[in-house]
Amino acid sequence: MSYEPLEIAGNSNLNGIRLRLKSSALDEVQVIGYGTTSRRLSTGNVASVQAEAIENQPVSNPLLTLQGRVAGLSVIQPSGMAGGGIRVRVQGQNSIANGSLPLYVVDGVPIISELPATGVDHPLGIDGPRSAGYGSPLNYLNPGDIERIDVLKDADATAIYGSLAANGAILITTKSGQVGPMRFEVRTETGFGQVANRVEMLNTRQYLDMRYEAFRNDGIDWRDPRVAADDLKAWDTTRYTDWQQELIGGTARYGTTNASVSGGIDAVRYRLSAAYQHESTVFPIPSDFNDRKVSVSSNIRAESPGKRFHLQFTGNYLVDRNQLPYADMTRWALLMQPHAYPLRTAEGSINWVPDATGRTTFYENPMMVVDARYRNRTANLIGNLVLGFRILEGLEFSANLGYNDLSTDDFKAEPLSVVYPENRANTQPSALFGSRTVRSWIVEPQFNYGRALGAGRLEALLGATLRDLRSRSGHLGGLGFLTDSQLENIDAAAVITSEVANASHYRYNALFARLNYTHKDRYIVNLTGRRDGSSRFGGANRFGNFGSLGAAWIITEEDFVPEWPILTFAKLRGSYGLVGNDQIGDYRYLSLFDFANIQVPYQGVVSILPSEMPNPHIQWEETRKLQLGLDVGLLGDRVLLTGTYARNRSSNQLLGYALPYMAGHSNYITNFPALVQNSSWEFTASSDNIVRGRFRWSTTLNMTLPDNRLLAFPDLAGSTYASTLVIGQPVFVNRFYRFSRVDPATGRYQVYDRDGGRTFSPNPDTDRTANLHTQEDFYGGLGNSLTWRGLTVDFLLQFVQQRGYEDLGLGSNFLWTPGSFYPGVSNQPVSVMERWQQPGDRASVARFTTQNSFGGLAANTDVRIVDASFIRLKNVALAYTLPERWLRGAGINQCRLHVNAQNLYTFTGYTGLDPETQSIIALPPLRVVTAGIQLSI
Amino acid sequence: MKNINNILYAAVALFTAGCESLVEIDPPLTSLNGGIVWQADNTAVAAVTGIHAALSNAGTSTAGLAGNSGLGVLCGLSADELTLHGTVADNRLIAYYRNALVAGPQQQFGADLWTGSGASGFYGHVFNVNTAIAGLEGSTGLTAAVKQQLLGEAYFLRGYLYQYLLGLFGNIPLVLGTDPKANAVLPQAPAADVQARIIADLEQAKTLLGAVYLDGTLRPYTGSAERVRPTKWAATAMLARAYLYDGQYAKAGDAAAEVIAHAALFGLPALDDAFLKGSTETIWSLQPVRTNRNTEDGYVFNLPATGPTASANLQPVYLSVQQLEAFAPGDARRYGRHWVDSVTALGTTYHFPYKYKAVNANGAPTEYQVLLRLGEQYLIRAEARAQLGDTDGARADLAAIRQRAGLGPVEASTREALLEAILRERQCELFTEQGHRWLDLKRTGKVDAVMSVVTPLKGGTWHTDWQRYPIPFVDLQRNPNLKQNRGY
Repeated sequence: MSYEPLEIAGNSNLNGIRLRLKSSALDEVQVIGYGTTSRRLSTGNVASVQAEAIENQPVSNPLLTLQGRVAGLSVIQPSGMAGGGIRVRVQGQNSIANGSLPLYVVDGVPIISELPATGVDHPLGIDGPRSAGYGSPLNYLNPGDIERIDVLKDADATAIYGSLAANGAILITTKSGQVGPMRFEVRTETGFGQVANRVEMLNTRQYLDMRYEAFRNDGIDWRDPRVAADDLKAWDTTRYTDWQQELIGGTARYGTTNASVSGGIDAVRYRLSAAYQHESTVFPIPSDFNDRKVSVSSNIRAESPGKRFHLQFTGNYLVDRNQLPYADMTRWALLMQPHAYPLRTAEGSINWVPDATGRTTFYENPMMVVDARYRNRTANLIGNLVLGFRILEGLEFSANLGYNDLSTDDFKAEPLSVVYPENRANTQPSALFGSRTVRSWIVEPQFNYGRALGAGRLEALLGATLRDLRSRSGHLGGLGFLTDSQLENIDAAAVITSEVANASHYRYNALFARLNYTHKDRYIVNLTGRRDGSSRFGGANRFGNFGSLGAAWIITEEDFVPEWPILTFAKLRGSYGLVGNDQIGDYRYLSLFDFANIQVPYQGVVSILPSEMPNPHIQWEETRKLQLGLDVGLLGDRVLLTGTYARNRSSNQLLGYALPYMAGHSNYITNFPALVQNSSWEFTASSDNIVRGRFRWSTTLNMTLPDNRLLAFPDLAGSTYASTLVIGQPVFVNRFYRFSRVDPATGRYQVYDRDGGRTFSPNPDTDRTANLHTQEDFYGGLGNSLTWRGLTVDFLLQFVQQRGYEDLGLGSNFLWTPGSFYPGVSNQPVSVMERWQQPGDRASVARFTTQNSFGGLAANTDVRIVDASFIRLKNVALAYTLPERWLRGAGINQCRLHVNAQNLYTFTGYTGLDPETQSIIALPPLRVVTAGIQLSI
Repeated sequence: MKNINNILYAAVALFTAGCESLVEIDPPLTSLNGGIVWQADNTAVAAVTGIHAALSNAGTSTAGLAGNSGLGVLCGLSADELTLHGTVADNRLIAYYRNALVAGPQQQFGADLWTGSGASGFYGHVFNVNTAIAGLEGSTGLTAAVKQQLLGEAYFLRGYLYQYLLGLFGNIPLVLGTDPKANAVLPQAPAADVQARIIADLEQAKTLLGAVYLDGTLRPYTGSAERVRPTKWAATAMLARAYLYDGQYAKAGDAAAEVIAHAALFGLPALDDAFLKGSTETIWSLQPVRTNRNTEDGYVFNLPATGPTASANLQPVYLSVQQLEAFAPGDARRYGRHWVDSVTALGTTYHFPYKYKAVNANGAPTEYQVLLRLGEQYLIRAEARAQLGDTDGARADLAAIRQRAGLGPVEASTREALLEAILRERQCELFTEQGHRWLDLKRTGKVDAVMSVVTPLKGGTWHTDWQRYPIPFVDLQRNPNLKQNRGY
């Protein structure tokens, strides 16, 4: 077996590197920190996703293209709203209370992992256990310009990024030009997106029956004028509307066009591209709610004759304008009363359904969030320049200079039309004007040295990182506009208030060195050491020393291993390292006073108040990462198998030491000797099943078995975390009561106490005996690719076995108690009809009552957590490349027609809206189908 | 090779030199460093003024001294002053109203005033005050007069806040320091110790505070004074209340008399003028800090023409039958649209507190939130005198209050009858002001007799344990040394 090695200067100058002969998937390039390697020689745990798989997926955030494709990487989309946040974890959650976010690097430039909120941007995120921030910074990078995404998981692969990559790193490389004649390429596609699932809610008859029964149960005559029952008295009880169809049943339109010019002659290669993407919403409301992005990207590489000096410049710029209703409509789609009124009056204003006295009876009319519209304009510039100079044979100096500028202004209108008429006398039109700037630069000087040494090769790297990040976000509020039409003009506001949500400055620097020695292409050792400094810690604790060791042994290269037709490749690899985490927020070691957010200054004095409780002694969180792996190639490497065991242990946890309110603040940051372990088994397999003539069938499989647990927490019982953490359980465990039954005598829920007896009123300290969590048992993806002549079919099945929240079950924070009423949001799932009606009934749902209690007893029991496993046909991509002879006359090099589908079908036993979002207030990920054409000239 | 080594050494030297300075950052733009706050007059004033502003910044959802989640509404619902409108579905208000507060993990009603939201509860304010006291005591850079006034304000505020915490919750920890770890494990202190500390703080405040009202730069007003910073008189008036609550009647009477005697500043204006911004009755008030708002109490109590609202954030309450029946015929506080007004909606008439008449302000507010006023001082002295057997003196003080309401002197002549009359007078005079009625019922031992009748009318069941609000569940969980109040 032979392959052609490629000498690669070990620096971040990596774009456009192509191996001339791909003899095996083992020799595919892998991008690692400040360099590249191949799967064959890699000591670390790295996985890659290539341009083709990215292009096949009609999604607007590149992170979503990784779902189901990378072992050890969990990507959750908590909401289907355009531009929303995405939850990404590389090998689990390391920190109990602080950041567990991976590092994102685009063309050598680190990008902020989570956007600081403007305070106006609530439509871009959801609250709760699956929250992923308000918006995603990677939303502002065009997936069509991406060449590859590499996910760095273990200490060896990430050590070179140090604490920036304490929770893994995701490296994104954009496309570059190749040597050859100028090539013009256009790719355009258009399609639609829909909500793929619905849940069955009460119809009008069932709803009314529930309400009448609730009043009977409570012994209240609803006809009594003193009894509030607007839904029965003021509303027309003969109406019925399918609100799921009406509010989230629409069709979102998708369209993307990418155009690029690329080419190169020897020393200069270039690629320039431009793209336009648009996406509307599924909310079928006559409005211009949509997300539009325009982007340009450029990439130039040049070398001096003799290749002594080289440079590479990349620039990506994207402008996004996203207009959305001010809240996700899903909550109303599910929970609005089936006989609720037309949302607008004949004149088009919001229908408040006033009663005889003029009092509003329909407070939560969802048109409020339509008229209170949200607009977000974001521009993102990522620029990078790499300069390289060969000082001596084998010794090169290079500098990586990067700049990122992400700026947002967003806007929320609160016109008078969204205020109840009777409250308008006390209200004035208002608007919020948010803004955010995130500016960072990075300078990385490096020396690389490589030479043959003995029977092997030595590579050394010495470098430094200087990073500076300033972010600022907040909003201005305008109050007292004369008319609704002036809301976008802050000059027309009578009063202007301001709130700076965040203004911080972060500096990071590091010095690092890497030594790599490859002996006879069979023994590989990789040693990294570094010293990191972060401005987030006080004087004595600023710097920390970290490092890693990686090693690999290619067994099949050994002389004692015979040439064997079945086993053609085997490699053992392992790594161990220590990394530090500083994702704790800025300035937390300082004792600070904040400017009090007071609208009218007290006595004209700008006043201040103590901020958080300071702790000047906070230190780095530390994670020790151990990985062991075996890579095997069979049948001439047609079948490749890898297995990896990873064990990451994080200690010195920085925790908000939860304080009682009587102490003055509800928490205090300090280092705890708690130990969190994330271990996982990762398996991947790829196989060229059939390669016969022009037919080719290949399969890839990846699977991860994660396990997160709290190993140690000294004096947990006596600490303030006694009620939230459990030794041996994941750090995100929740303690629930064990559900017993609906009491046949009273129709009320009962739970088991710790002794197994039934009780109506358990003791929260001792009776919450069910420890449940939503950690996946396993997850992964199965992909198949079939090619015959010009026809290609790819499909990917994403599979997840897990438990999750079921908020439509017996209660949650958003579900009103069955039988109670709140205008606009108190409908119930049909399952409530299995309720208790009279003594002796053995029912699954408690008696109806008009008294609401959110999160009543049943919502705190183990029935809240159900099986939320699913298999999702994540992606189907069908493409046909027209035979070249058809095109020759037209001067076209290549013409490819394609149909792509995302989230096409989900197989699940989960009864809620979607097993991934596990929410009744969040739009599920949409099913998107597009068709398009790709031409190159 | 040697060459390379030299280059590497040079590189290492280059990288390591100045490492420290490369991670130096300026202090944050949005905040001030704690160390400097107490070294300059203007920042120290800003920090103590911030506590006043935070106390005034109640809002609709944050618990505080006034407004929708203020003492007036919450304690008024707990007592027999207010009725919660039938359409209100807010479980928290319902729990206050029916004397059915709970402190559990799923439901916690009754903790608002203790916890607030964020650091805005009474204990959050206490922490800010303690921070100020620690900072001021240790400060060397302040003008002596500024330091003295600010310290006085801080001690005054601490006494004021603790008097409410003690009255509402009964068994409370006495947090006086700023070390979070030490604070977090403090056990509850005996009520007598807390009361003694309140009196000590107020006495200290009285010696520190000046006699004239000061502006935002701590200089006397040149024009008409705004009574929005505590003075020696505020400390004395609060001291009178604290002595009275503690049963030190002679001291209570003396302190009240001291304030009443200072006629140059204080008097009893007509009912309609009592709560105006420039009222001579005001001893201490808070300036409204919300845009286009008058007082928070004015906002929550003044009913719109459509009657009480279902929304807890608007106007969900109105005056109870018991409160209306307490007024004697001809009482101008009840009749004549002075302190009580009404609306009729859907055939039902709702009476509401009309002490504050303005809801919104276009421009400067016309009313300030009054926290200490002269009327209460007369009632304190009356009660002190009655307790000490000076029935004539007590009758005279009552007469001063009743005269303004168009009523003649009370006929009661025995000590018991007088105390009864004083309690009723307090009910009619101080209704819906910072929970006076609720605290009066409790300290006079009448709470069981009154509430065992009233609570069933409100849809609840009375038990004597319900007179104390529950200790917040979160605090019980996080501080193993705290004990829940009996019954919860």
